[in-house]
Amino acid sequence: MAIINVSAGNEAVLVLGDSAANANIAGSDGLTVPSMQDITINNSTGVFRFKTLDNTAESAVTTPATNQITLNVVVDDAAFFGTGAGSIDTVVDEGLFGVSKNKTRVYFNAGFNGTDATSKFVSGSGFISGLAPTVNMDSPVWVTPVTIEVDGDYTEGVVS
Amino acid sequence: MAIRSDLLTDLTTNLSNSSVSISTQVPYVSGDIPLYVKNMKKMYVDEEQQEITELYNCLDNNDVLQTETTVNAYVCVDAKTQPTDIDTVVSTCLNAKNSIANAIIRESSVENEYQDDKIIYTFEYRFITV
Repeated sequence: MAIINVSAGNEAVLVLGDSAANANIAGSDGLTVPSMQDITINNSTGVFRFKTLDNTAESAVTTPATNQITLNVVVDDAAFFGTGAGSIDTVVDEGLFGVSKNKTRVYFNAGFNGTDATSKFVSGSGFISGLAPTVNMDSPVWVTPVTIEVDGDYTEGVVS
Repeated sequence: MAIRSDLLTDLTTNLSNSSVSISTQVPYVSGDIPLYVKNMKKMYVDEEQQEITELYNCLDNNDVLQTETTVNAYVCVDAKTQPTDIDTVVSTCLNAKNSIANAIIRESSVENEYQDDKIIYTFEYRFITV
């Protein structure tokens, strides 16, 4: 049992790819999202509540979850607009903006404690949404929120 | 020390026809007297003071930093008989902040104090770069 401290700088990692193989957290084919300020992995189930005559309190069951990964990043031009062409991965080529605009399905590995063997991560696939790059003279560097609208369930994994 | 250098260049150019000249020396103290008091009507620009802080802290330690630079400059004149162009000199010195490129904040201010029969103008320039 141990807390997961990310201050080393290589612990909280998000890798995106156009296939599950390319999004491998321990691989090098996908896009490792740089300069993340924060990341939140949402697994929010719905709740159905009902009352019965023989019970003094409501009963509840959970319904299918809304899965969503939200993050804020400092905009890196290569990660945001892509490298153009030449890589083996569409996400690397088109960048976050390209795959959002083109509604390309992206696969992800979100690492909790780095990429070394036995490190924990969650994976899945979905679509990039919620880009809203902003800048002003008080904070003169582009930053943007990013949302991955997850299609389906997460899968828990361990780096092998 | 590019900011101090750029300020010196701008001040040297724009004060060339004024009653105040510019020294490239820093305003050290000579015989208990600062150079700008010893050499009146000569402006001295001090070394830069810098403070580097985090603008954005990132999880991969690829942090975005900003640098706040402060530069002081000094000129001393006779308080009884001030140069006739002192208002222009002060205005020119304040506007020297505009010569610094790539800064998101450019500010300047002036304060004055009396020492015997002299008046000392202290200019403070503040810049923030990313």
